[in-house]
Amino acid sequence: MKNSTLIKGTAAIAVGAALLLGGGGTLAAWNADASAAPGTIVSGDLNVAAGTGKWTDANSADVTSKIANGTYRIVPGDKLTYTQDLTVTLVGDKLAAKVVLANVPTSSFAADNVSISPLKLTNTAGEVTPTTVLTPVSGSSTQTVTASTVFEFKGSTSARNDVSKSYALGNVSYTLSQVTQAGLTGVTTP
Amino acid sequence: MRIKRSLQATALIAAAVLLGLLTVQGTYALWNATATTSPGTVTAAAFDVRMTSTVNSQAFTNMTLPNDKPANLSITTTTLARGQSVFGGVVVTNLVDGTNAFNTKITATKGTIANSALAQNLIIDAKMGSLATDCSTPAGYNTLGTTSLTAANVAQNASAVFCLKITLNADPPQEVKGQTVNVPLTITASQCGASNGC
Repeated sequence: MKNSTLIKGTAAIAVGAALLLGGGGTLAAWNADASAAPGTIVSGDLNVAAGTGKWTDANSADVTSKIANGTYRIVPGDKLTYTQDLTVTLVGDKLAAKVVLANVPTSSFAADNVSISPLKLTNTAGEVTPTTVLTPVSGSSTQTVTASTVFEFKGSTSARNDVSKSYALGNVSYTLSQVTQAGLTGVTTP
Repeated sequence: MRIKRSLQATALIAAAVLLGLLTVQGTYALWNATATTSPGTVTAAAFDVRMTSTVNSQAFTNMTLPNDKPANLSITTTTLARGQSVFGGVVVTNLVDGTNAFNTKITATKGTIANSALAQNLIIDAKMGSLATDCSTPAGYNTLGTTSLTAANVAQNASAVFCLKITLNADPPQEVKGQTVNVPLTITASQCGASNGC
């Protein structure tokens, strides 16, 4: 009987030591890994590009090259129309913009002798004023806005008034500016 | 495990700091773009109409001088004997450089002649010609009264010819001897149009 008690105590000690050796000194807890693909964030776009302007006379004849090389001479009764397409790029889910003209010079012709319509912008929806808000169109990153003006040298011009006078349109600029929309945070218009 | 947790905590703190700095710099501009274009220059034509003497083709001038004053063209100067005539005229040419058609109506009217014995003894006749040399031909002249000679629809680079024949009476008084007088012809050119049909 005495031998039976001695034998039990020895067996218990041996099991405890074996567990320590197998773990290398630490005990690992459960853990698991998983991967996720959140997606790609892509920025939109805003841009404006001016196409080639075109001048036509009252007979709808294209006189662009003559205006460009300075050989066209307007006389009382003449009417010239200028048109230019602007390609407006608007890409963005919360993007909206306005377009304004600048640097349109005044004419030195006598006011009684000419009728010059203000350079105006239009699109398929109508006139594009400085307060018109443009938004991206469905299915296309671009849309067209057309600039136009009409220069009429009145037939009522008398004597030799305004002979050899010039109206230089200089460098007209079109500026497309983003405007704030609902859902945009932390932005202020400069 | 403790180390791992420690590292994770460090990364989070760095991100927070960076965002905080950006926020402090505050506002930033919205997108904008500008396109510039040069539509060109619209230039009016020069309203140039030239007068040329039929007697001397080297004598010519624009109807309007650079100072915007009307020009005077001397056709010829001559001395007349009793019953003698002098012929002369003016070729009026439309030199307007308008790009589209610019026809003109040109008229010639007897101008004011200073009153004198000589002026009272002159017979002034006129006619329209096709060429400058037509003015030297005696046929076709009629008395130039108060009505005008008119050339309608004179196209660009085309001309109208106005001829004058001035005759001294066959029996003028003695006092006309040595007198001189200008016989003016007033030329008017106007653009053909709705209000000035040609």
